[in-house]
Amino acid sequence: MPVRVNLDRVLLERRMSLTELSDRVGVTIANLSILKTGKARAVRFSTLDALCRELDCQPGDLLTFEGGPPDSDD
Amino acid sequence: MRALGPGSVSSFLKIILDVIYVGLWIFVSLLSIFTLVALLFSFNPELLARMVPISDAVEIVSRNGPLLAGALAAWALLLGGWMVIVERLRRIFATLTAGDPFHPDNVLRLRVIGLILAGLEIGRYIFSGMARWLAPDSKVIDDSFTLTAWFSVLVVFVLAEVFREGARLRREAELTI
Repeated sequence: MPVRVNLDRVLLERRMSLTELSDRVGVTIANLSILKTGKARAVRFSTLDALCRELDCQPGDLLTFEGGPPDSDD
Repeated sequence: MRALGPGSVSSFLKIILDVIYVGLWIFVSLLSIFTLVALLFSFNPELLARMVPISDAVEIVSRNGPLLAGALAAWALLLGGWMVIVERLRRIFATLTAGDPFHPDNVLRLRVIGLILAGLEIGRYIFSGMARWLAPDSKVIDDSFTLTAWFSVLVVFVLAEVFREGARLRREAELTI
């Protein structure tokens, strides 16, 4: 995936656990894990809004474009 | 009236397909047995002569036995194809009853149905061609080209692609956070 999710790093900087973030943003731990491991195909603006609000960061802190070939649809 | 989920039209259709499937199983099994019996008697007319004391009947069976066995085998094959189609449809309707129509396996099931429908239609041409060659006087042989059958095959293949797209969208939705 050319877009990398830096949720791990931001959580570490904020000293926040995934469980705590899950409680705060109202997204299940399973879904946050999918996002954290880079398996997610899309992020809703509402999720991004909640994450930035709770982690006190910008979308650019969570997502970085790294380039490379795009993923196939299948 | 709901189309998907438990207690819906699809669950009702699933029950009908289950009944048809069991009926086809019984019918195909009986046809296979009859085919074997017809083959046995056509190659051993003296066996039949011992069981049936009418000499005319023995002569008719020994003359038409292989043709009868071939016709029965063709019917068994045709119904076997339909049995596979009904079995795949049962599985598709099980996913509809579960409220999950875009299950990825449904794509392959629909493709198999399309292929078997095409195979059955081609098989019909082959068998009716053979039957016409073996029994040129017969009036029951139908080897006409049916547009509806080929239209159905194409519709099933298009539906398979629709389900593939649906399965892809379902996967996208699952991975949208």
